[in-house]
Amino acid sequence: MESAAIIDPPMITPVSSPQQQVASGSEPTAAAPERPPAFEVERLSIFYGEKKAIENVTLTIPSKMITAIIGPSGCGKSTLLRSLNRMHELVPQTRIEGKVVFAGEDIYAPHIDPVVVRRRIGMVFQKSNPFPTMSIAENVLVGLKLNGVRDRAFLRERLEQSLRMAALWDEVKNDLHKPGISLSGGQQQRLCIARAIAVEPEVLLMDEPASALDPIATAKIEELIHELSSNYTVVIVTHNMQQAGRCSDYTAFLYLGRLIEFAATTKIFTNPSERQTEDYITGRFG
Amino acid sequence: MVTPKHILGTFDEALASLRNNVLMMAGLTERSLDRAMKGLFQRDDDLCANAIADDEEIDQLEKQIDKDGVDVLMRFQPLASDLRRVVSAMKLSSNLERMADQATNIARRARKLNQHPPLPELELIAPMHAHAMSMFKDSIDAYVREDVQLGRAVVPRDEKLDELNRVASRRLIQRMAEDPDQLRGYLNLMFIARHLERVGDHATNIAEDAVYAAAAEDIRHQPFVASA
Repeated sequence: MESAAIIDPPMITPVSSPQQQVASGSEPTAAAPERPPAFEVERLSIFYGEKKAIENVTLTIPSKMITAIIGPSGCGKSTLLRSLNRMHELVPQTRIEGKVVFAGEDIYAPHIDPVVVRRRIGMVFQKSNPFPTMSIAENVLVGLKLNGVRDRAFLRERLEQSLRMAALWDEVKNDLHKPGISLSGGQQQRLCIARAIAVEPEVLLMDEPASALDPIATAKIEELIHELSSNYTVVIVTHNMQQAGRCSDYTAFLYLGRLIEFAATTKIFTNPSERQTEDYITGRFG
Repeated sequence: MVTPKHILGTFDEALASLRNNVLMMAGLTERSLDRAMKGLFQRDDDLCANAIADDEEIDQLEKQIDKDGVDVLMRFQPLASDLRRVVSAMKLSSNLERMADQATNIARRARKLNQHPPLPELELIAPMHAHAMSMFKDSIDAYVREDVQLGRAVVPRDEKLDELNRVASRRLIQRMAEDPDQLRGYLNLMFIARHLERVGDHATNIAEDAVYAAAAEDIRHQPFVASA
């Protein structure tokens, strides 16, 4: 099928075996997820020019689960998230040390094409960003079309499937030709999620996906994240502690670019091992 | 370990208020039990009446703590040790209220006993009283000082109280058969022993909640080695 090469690019080997259960973490506490790892971040440091944004982070992110990254502003949450699909490289003068192993291969290895990495590891941003000149349908299908998919029946099928998965189909099925930006903020964000999943990535990275939304739209996004986690590995950056508690299976706490603690979310939010985590989540930080 | 101040002063105030109400409730419950038992041992109906009157205030405090706890959960969504403190405070208040009910029950039984000549079998109650109150005080101390070790140590002590209750019950049943004229008196003493045994159960619950609040450890319903 025409789309097969897009969906299953040959440059990265299939998902690692269930036996690959890794307990890891940088020096601080780190949980041992029971699922096979989606990402194995090893001694990762990221620099913007002279500034070290991420320092020696080692972390295993389990597959088909939701991992939240929390921490105060400027702690490196978004940088760490973006490093998982090399999106941070779009910032000039970026340099990394260490490895990010996805599906058995270091995504920073010289032979890896970052475009293919980003196709397999999709991203949703804080502010919804539908293409303003495109209709709802065009927004969803843009990724497939850019990759040369022309089969109209396939595109139609994928459009409905993606919008249904993003819990948006019923609201827009009669308005598919209308501009994407005519939707409400919450709908636009779900449209962006539909766009991200239309190319069938294996991972969804979400950078504060609901921070600009009202509580109802936020609840819909959270419900969607929960449903998506049965098919996708989801990594979400959030400032909202309650959201992290509600949505995620595992939580990583970052401070000043360092991983302070990584554990099951229930553990982090009821009995964290590290004093810095406790102080941060209870609002007693600094 | 000193807890740093919360960024929101109102949150620290709300937590402190919750804790102060629990401590006040514990103080009143201890006083009520003390009055009920003195009313029994000293055959003083006024003390019994005071113990019964204390119950109303304790009931109101339970409602206040529940209301404040729900309010803190709703307004601040506490996490980690803060969350455990709020949950524990609400559970403690429930146990304290039931302890105060035991004090009321003891005071009512004591008033009935005071209408008749004293029974020598009252001596069976004294060690139970001492043991139950010691468990109660230590459980509250464990909560106040967040002393996990002390909290843990309270739990197995309930076995001894249960045993004292069994011994007292056996002896009182025996006396009922030997001296049926005093049957009501012996029955009242049996109920008082039972109420004290329940006080021990609530002290155990409080100690378990104290451990949970301090260390996030659920030590309920675990087999333990009986105390030496």
